[in-house]
Amino acid sequence: MSTIETLQRQESGQGVHAVMLEAIGDYGFSKFIISGLPDRGLDVRPFVLLSGWDSEWYARYTSLGYVHLDPVARHCFATTLPFDWSAAPYDRERDRGARQVMEEARDFDMHQGLCVPVHLEGGMQGVVSLVGKTAALDDKNRLELHMLALYAHGRMRFLHTLGQDGVRRAITPREAEVLKWVAAGKTASDIAGITGLSVRTVNQHCENAQRRLGTSNRLHTVVEAIRHKLITL
Amino acid sequence: MQVHVVRGRNSDHPLMEANYRLRHRIFVDLQGWEALRREDQRDIDRFDNEDATHLLLTDRGELVGGSRITPLDRPNLLQTVFHGLVHGDFPTDLSLGADWTRFYVRPDRREGRRRAPESAALFCAMMEYALSEGYSFITFVSSLAMLEHGTSVGWTITPLGPPALVDGKATVAAWIAVSEQALYTVRRATGMSQVLIPASSFVFTPPSAPLGM
Repeated sequence: MSTIETLQRQESGQGVHAVMLEAIGDYGFSKFIISGLPDRGLDVRPFVLLSGWDSEWYARYTSLGYVHLDPVARHCFATTLPFDWSAAPYDRERDRGARQVMEEARDFDMHQGLCVPVHLEGGMQGVVSLVGKTAALDDKNRLELHMLALYAHGRMRFLHTLGQDGVRRAITPREAEVLKWVAAGKTASDIAGITGLSVRTVNQHCENAQRRLGTSNRLHTVVEAIRHKLITL
Repeated sequence: MQVHVVRGRNSDHPLMEANYRLRHRIFVDLQGWEALRREDQRDIDRFDNEDATHLLLTDRGELVGGSRITPLDRPNLLQTVFHGLVHGDFPTDLSLGADWTRFYVRPDRREGRRRAPESAALFCAMMEYALSEGYSFITFVSSLAMLEHGTSVGWTITPLGPPALVDGKATVAAWIAVSEQALYTVRRATGMSQVLIPASSFVFTPPSAPLGM
């Protein structure tokens, strides 16, 4: 059975992890992560679909909001093609945050890799990032890894949607943005004015977030969103 | 939203003119398929023929998305224009498959939402149609992104060959397994709770002779 066939039969994140580790090992990679990329200021953790990183680096990267400083994560928004981490541009002189993340990553031996951006409908952004040396990859390898990464991302998104993986469903960046304004005491019509959305859409976002979080009213939704660090104030 | 099943050339159908114009805008003007460019701003090719079935999606009477389906035992895009992408075998006899082409959602409908209800509706309608026609697999040629979108609704998708760069874009030919399970998972993943193609679309029109003769 081919790797891609096996991958699509996995019913859990653990299963996908095992299949992926073996597959990327053939190309010289040892670790990977599958995640959505949050809007500015949001915690990345609810967006992570599957982490195969060392727990120490993962804890540091996620709790310190490194995703918003990391030039690799940032570059995903600028390209549809897979790229080497080393090709993600940043200003080494002025961008101290980016430099810090890249230097710390080196200490964890997490400074080389291949990043596959995943563009979803509605401007949502995902990523599959593989840790390891890329110098030996040829164009054919890169296309194969690109395809493999998209299968893995799709499968994880499916398992996540069904909630079979025990991953709590995150709210969307747009819902988070609206909830942040609700938390700041704004009315639906204020928020419509600020964001350029219609009042109806603002209310719809609140209702969707409420449904996802299983809460009973707007206040409850905001409280739960803060408690789970889905929004930061 | 409503799905219309338009069979064959059917140039009189009120939605077909809008379909050809929207396809030109999307595939030529926005996606840059220069080979399809036409003076009259309508994307019509040799596979818009009697063999084709068009699934057209409307919202309040306006066309917002579409797809074209050609049986694989008739001349089709996959085995002509894109035959270079097909290396492996088809899962079963060609008469049990169809080629899915010209999938689109009107661009203004793709903004600001995680999964546009228009593409969800077309995915569901596609699987409903394939089941009702008795197909066991559906082929397509697309950017690799389609593999992600398809698997994210629980579909099983098998490449027909290795991915290749076509006009600089990573492209693959692949087939989707048609099954009740695939319809169930796409409905569940997209939250679709209604039948899109009513059974009456497929009712055989009886000859005028009265029953019992």
